[in-house]
Amino acid sequence: MGDLRLAWRNIWRNKRRTLLTAASIFLAIFLALIVRSLQIGWFDNLAEIVVQSYTGHIQIHKKGYWDDRDINNSMAFNDSLAAVVKSNANVDKTVPRLEYFALSSFEKQTKGVMLAGTDPLKEDALTKLSAKVVKGHYLSTGENSILVSQGLASYLGLTAGDTLVLLGQGYHGISAAGKYPVCGIVHFPSPVLDNQMVYMNLATAQEFFSADSRITSLSLTLKNPDEIGNTAAALKAEVDGGKFEVMRWDEMMVEITQQLKVKTAGGKIIIAILYMIVGFGVFGTVIMMTNERTREFGVIVSVGMQKSKLAMILVLEMILIGLTGLITGVAFAMPIMLYFKLNPIHIWGSMAQAFISYGIQPLMPLALKANFILSNVATVLVIVSLTCIYPVRRIFKLKVADALHK
Amino acid sequence: MNIIEIKNLSKVYDEKTIPVYALNGVDLAFKQGEFTSIVGPSGSGKTTMLNMLGGLDTPSGGKIMIDGTDITGLKSRQLIDFRMRNIGFVFQSFNLIPVLTAKENVEFIMQLQGVDREQRDKRTLELLQSVGLGEKINTRPNKLSGGQQQRVAVARALASKPKFILADEPTANLDSKSAENLLEIMEKLNREENITFIFSTHDSRVVAKARRVVTLEDGKIVSDVSKN
Ligand SMILES: Nc1ncnc2c1ncn2[C@@H]1O[C@H](COP(=O)(O)OP(=O)(O)O)[C@@H](O)[C@H]1O
Ligand SMILES: [Mg+2]
Repeated sequence: MGDLRLAWRNIWRNKRRTLLTAASIFLAIFLALIVRSLQIGWFDNLAEIVVQSYTGHIQIHKKGYWDDRDINNSMAFNDSLAAVVKSNANVDKTVPRLEYFALSSFEKQTKGVMLAGTDPLKEDALTKLSAKVVKGHYLSTGENSILVSQGLASYLGLTAGDTLVLLGQGYHGISAAGKYPVCGIVHFPSPVLDNQMVYMNLATAQEFFSADSRITSLSLTLKNPDEIGNTAAALKAEVDGGKFEVMRWDEMMVEITQQLKVKTAGGKIIIAILYMIVGFGVFGTVIMMTNERTREFGVIVSVGMQKSKLAMILVLEMILIGLTGLITGVAFAMPIMLYFKLNPIHIWGSMAQAFISYGIQPLMPLALKANFILSNVATVLVIVSLTCIYPVRRIFKLKVADALHK
Repeated sequence: MNIIEIKNLSKVYDEKTIPVYALNGVDLAFKQGEFTSIVGPSGSGKTTMLNMLGGLDTPSGGKIMIDGTDITGLKSRQLIDFRMRNIGFVFQSFNLIPVLTAKENVEFIMQLQGVDREQRDKRTLELLQSVGLGEKINTRPNKLSGGQQQRVAVARALASKPKFILADEPTANLDSKSAENLLEIMEKLNREENITFIFSTHDSRVVAKARRVVTLEDGKIVSDVSKN
């Protein structure tokens, strides 16, 4: 009769109680995993989309640009700024952009557009813009042709091969005007972007806006996104704080991150309460299990089992109940997390609106990562272990002669 | 030769409030192969005495020498180990581990002692046969009668090859037939295998089977009679 088998038989002495206890642990770990999976999935997805579709992990602007995105708040893209960015070991890719509003006109239609001057190769490395081309071809370096977003193109009634007229105000109020051949049409899932974007080479945009060698933003992606805090701090320390602002994606996307924080905190509180309730439930079971067996413990220690061994069997019993709940809980949560990781949930309401306004599809995949699963499993094991303190103490304090008369 | 020697043994309960002198200066010795009954009215100190002999409780004063070892000087862990190797116990009732079969209950101590499986199986079967339960080896306690349970307890007590067996009112919860049967088995084991039994009782028919009767009153020995 091994200790494990003895423990196993003991837990089935009271089937109902054992099943109820295991079921409560099952429910706790299951719900905790789903909630965390939702939250982490949400956060990671957002970070990924925001970073990859638009901002990069970090951007450097002229100080004040993010609050007032005006061409006059552009900055000279010089060697010293490039050097600072290059010298940081965690910086992966960089994309310089010059963005400002302009007026587009084709035949009888006219519409305001967001004109983005960028480096075609670098832009593609960050946002995979070339993959969004649905007609014609992607920008080539040195050409003055442009990409027009699909919604805009259909409003204006133009297609690849046509020529678009752009008018606007350049740097320091100099008027801007030009005619550009459309080399391709790009499609964005976000209607906001799809209805207003025009892309061209950075040099072409600088010429159009009379903003020679100027940019409005320098986007950076990081090799290790988890180090974003340190990297942002290092960059801040190195650039001239009076002239430049270094912003993390979550600082730029305040609306999204704020909603995210509120939701995450709420979820964490729910999980904590859940664990507390289950912890007390398990504790109740442990107390009953211990108290109704006092006499039996007396007999067992009388005939020669060391208290430490008996205590170990009791802990084993609790671990077996705990593992039964844990393993089934994880086993049920896993396929659900996996399914919704591969088939993201459609979100709705104001959150969805916020997503769309930032050019993000209102979709949310669940996360399936070892770290949060393991940390929740560990939390449950710690809770179960804590409840074991009671029987272990009772056994070590057991007075055999008294116990035999219970 | 004496296997147990008790010198000036005393036990006081609730020393600080209202002291109860459960044992009061007891001197006693037991030899290998005895079949001894401890008798006396309820509250006379029988259970206290057996607990002391078995190292289940610590005395307030005096010495208990078992085969040359003063068990009052042993630490808790050592005492548990000592019990496992030297003393067999039969309690009044509910002696057995409910989730284990008769065989597993008997094996229990041998497993603690590290006896290998083959030997365990052999000895367990022998023991259960010797208490007349060769047919019940795979039965759990709740499917056994009170008398059968006590016989399994005797088999378990024997399993570790102890120096002696202590039984505190082993027949108290048995009907007279089962009680007689249990005593017969104990007697036979004593006669045929020279197993030392020390048991308490207040059943006169059980007392009649003893070869030595020690009578306690108010924690003192008032008579000690050996028959031949
Ligand atoms: N744990 C205890 N605490 C206080 N008093 C006790 C305890 N155990 C026994 N006693 C007292 O010690 C005396 C002897 O008891 P016990 O040894 O149980 O007698 P017996 O077994 O002969 O009936 C009694 O007066 C009893 O009330
Ligand atoms: Mg008694």
